[in-house]
Amino acid sequence: MFQGRRGWFCGSVGQELRQFWVAEGGTLSDPQAADFLFSCDASHPDTQRIYQSLDYIEDNATVFHAYYLSAVANTEIKNTVALGHFILPPACLQKEIRRKIGCFIWEQDQHFLIEEHDEV
Amino acid sequence: ETDNCSKMLKYRCSGCIAVGKSLNSRNFSKLLHSCPYQCDRHKVIVEAEDRYKSELRKSLVYNKKILLTPRRRRQLSNES
Ligand SMILES: [Zn+2]
Repeated sequence: MFQGRRGWFCGSVGQELRQFWVAEGGTLSDPQAADFLFSCDASHPDTQRIYQSLDYIEDNATVFHAYYLSAVANTEIKNTVALGHFILPPACLQKEIRRKIGCFIWEQDQHFLIEEHDEV
Repeated sequence: ETDNCSKMLKYRCSGCIAVGKSLNSRNFSKLLHSCPYQCDRHKVIVEAEDRYKSELRKSLVYNKKILLTPRRRRQLSNES
């Protein structure tokens, strides 16, 4: 699924999701070279550095919640999960966004992880 | 008719339906910006992030101006 893709992971992302990325053919890289930027916490210093980068300001860097990977892991047809549902905006914007749209899809999708743990 | 259409589009903008393998952190923002029918959800996120980015851009320009006060400019030209 992620063959030939380079992923950067914030320190906030758990080992399981990184391992899944690698198991699916992805490689790990630094944020500049990465095709995908994953984080589980917008207020983590690693991720905050992305939000302050020129890449981000110039619309060349979208941070995705790493729960995207657990959603992929938990669907039968792996490439049917909409990446766009996992945008992770800067922490200082989240409250305002939540007020307008309710909770984020990645907040609703936490049951994916729980299901996974139940099976183990 | 048009109402139904916009209602449908409300939940299915490019950001919602795009699942292609070519999507990534580098091109996603541009895809969303070029979508003429952003759903409510994506519209709110894009607007908030755009505002944040423009604030940041402004502060970068401001910092650059401070760096380039006359004295600093003279120093820079002496260095080169
Ligand atoms: Zn959408």
